Amino acid sequence: MKQFGKILKFELNGYLKNKIFVGVTLFLVLAIAIVIFFPNLKEFLRSDGGAEEGNQRPVMLVYTEDGDLASTLREAFEAAFDGYYDVQTAEGTVDDVKRMVIGGSAECAFALEGISAYTYYVNNLSMYDGNTAVAEAVLQELCRADAMAQAGLTPGQAEKILSVAVEGNTETLGKDQNETVLYTYIMILVLYMAIILYGQMVAIKVAAEKDSRAMEVLITSAKPASMMFGKVLASCLAGLMQLAVIFGAALVLYRVNQSAWGGSDLMESIFDIPVGLLGYMLMFFVLGFLIYAFLFGAVGSAASKTEDTNTSILPLEFLILASFFVVNFSITGGGNINSTLMKICSFVPFSSPMAMFTRICMSEVPGYEIAISVAILIGSVVGVGFLAAKIYRVGVLLYGTAPKIGEVVKVAWKA
Amino acid sequence: MILEFKNIHKSFGDKKVLKDVSFTAESGKAFGLLGRNGAGKTTSIRILMNVFPADSGQVLLDGKPIDYKKVGLGYLPEERGLYPKKQIMEQLVYFAELKGMGRRAAADSVDRWLERLGMREYRTKRLDTLSKGNQQKIQLITALAHDPDIVILDEPFSGLDPVNAMLLKDVVKEQIAKGKIVLFSSHQMSYIEEFCDSIAVIHEGKVALSGDLRDIKRNYVRDRLVVRAADPQPIRADFGAACTEGGDGALILQMRDPAEKQTVMKRLVEQYDIDGVKVFEPSLNDIFVEYAGEQA
Repeated sequence: MKQFGKILKFELNGYLKNKIFVGVTLFLVLAIAIVIFFPNLKEFLRSDGGAEEGNQRPVMLVYTEDGDLASTLREAFEAAFDGYYDVQTAEGTVDDVKRMVIGGSAECAFALEGISAYTYYVNNLSMYDGNTAVAEAVLQELCRADAMAQAGLTPGQAEKILSVAVEGNTETLGKDQNETVLYTYIMILVLYMAIILYGQMVAIKVAAEKDSRAMEVLITSAKPASMMFGKVLASCLAGLMQLAVIFGAALVLYRVNQSAWGGSDLMESIFDIPVGLLGYMLMFFVLGFLIYAFLFGAVGSAASKTEDTNTSILPLEFLILASFFVVNFSITGGGNINSTLMKICSFVPFSSPMAMFTRICMSEVPGYEIAISVAILIGSVVGVGFLAAKIYRVGVLLYGTAPKIGEVVKVAWKA
Repeated sequence: MILEFKNIHKSFGDKKVLKDVSFTAESGKAFGLLGRNGAGKTTSIRILMNVFPADSGQVLLDGKPIDYKKVGLGYLPEERGLYPKKQIMEQLVYFAELKGMGRRAAADSVDRWLERLGMREYRTKRLDTLSKGNQQKIQLITALAHDPDIVILDEPFSGLDPVNAMLLKDVVKEQIAKGKIVLFSSHQMSYIEEFCDSIAVIHEGKVALSGDLRDIKRNYVRDRLVVRAADPQPIRADFGAACTEGGDGALILQMRDPAEKQTVMKRLVEQYDIDGVKVFEPSLNDIFVEYAGEQA
């Protein structure tokens, strides 16, 4: 136990004194600070730009050969694209309009034949260009108003018909996925990233000790279980400390600058995680991290050289990637997070940290299911930890050609 | 203290690495563990260090199984290596702490050893900035800083220049004088002869020879003669296959029986123009080659 404490302290110090580790943490805090202070920066730039701001909006041309229609169309388009485009009426021919778009004096143009047909001219069509959808809505409304006028309705009556409002309420009896999806997604993404990054670090550290032959002294100085648990828990603590600094800084910075966001739903949904879920997050993060970190450590010990580690850990990376994709698709692909696959995944220890956490965040999960999942996970962490320590003891002394993982497990099992 | 390796067997998979290995080492004396590469020396050392257990047999200290919590072991492995990117002081203190020392005591001891080996100026340097010889001295400190009862030195002199080799010799002599059990493994037989009172030669997992080095030499069959002659040709011709080159211009004559010594010597003096003849005294190297060589 004493040895374990010393190993843990030494390994943790190794992380905390590592310039890259500290640098990455500070960089991420800085990046988050920039994001959180973005509204202030935008405001600052806007006030700095002043009067030019209005002129800097891109130009959208509206072209029609029907002179009477031109001003109606321009007004309707201006109302629809307010704040995004400086809507202007184009003169001349369609070719002149095209030239203006190609020349850059206008970003896009709508050439209309009446109010029911148009051609959209744009130089490079962006993947996210929604201008045609907006224009179609505007034109449909004009068409309807026109049809109603022809049927003998006054403009006032037509407007009343078109602006009928339906009153509706949604009462969420379980959990509102709109509110929970962001922090759930952030957590599983963070867990995925942490496992990949720190797992790799654990594997490489073990392989480097073997490669540098420091292992010869280590293995004769400390118990393999102490070594493995010390290393893995140190990496877990380092990871948690890094995340605590990053998320702590984000929370403090957001609270300081909350007013600038004007109660943004997006930001509120990230920072307003219920305390109970934070507890689950911490528990699943630690357990999920540990089960993978032990495996990464074991694989690192069996690698013959540091540079072989990246290849050796690939199967583990696929395993975590597969879990991530299942959960990710369940969230984004229709939100069916209680599908049979997700239910199975929430009991398999290699995917349950992500799957069960997602289910808890985004739906109602019976308490016994959570208890069973956590019990399986804790049991697996302990089991995998001791098996990893055994593999470590056998693996670190095998030099030369990397042994087959099956053989190592077999020997370790007997050891 | 008496360290006993008693009937140790060890296999890895189907490969039997140690077969009934037994030897005894005493405190205040150095013990030489010899053998060719792959003979089973490192496996024996790892069993002694409790890295893995023997399949059968016992490692005893004063007749009782070693209590690894109480008995300190220091190991200088043949495969040298520490943390290349870490500060020397930091890692030496860490290794001494792992061996059970408190932080303060570990730091004091490491400081003393750095001073003793003339390495004090490097305490805050990274290991990979040091020369190979100096790295080896740092490695030696990991084996000795915690003042172990049993010191295991595997090829301690390889890679050292003559000045550092002399320094290491003094350190080894000090350890022996302090009453430690010093286990020496080396292919440099001259060092073994210089330090070790007793040896064990392991060959293909078995002890081929063990005991007091002087007794081994004394009991060595004295059935060969070393002959020096200005013109060795007639001797070669007459003795045929019994005559081999002994190096340095000398001839080695193999007798059928040590009792023939007087007869053969007389014949040599009377029949040939010889410069000198004496009974062949084997070096440890000769004994090693005989017991661990291809024909052993």
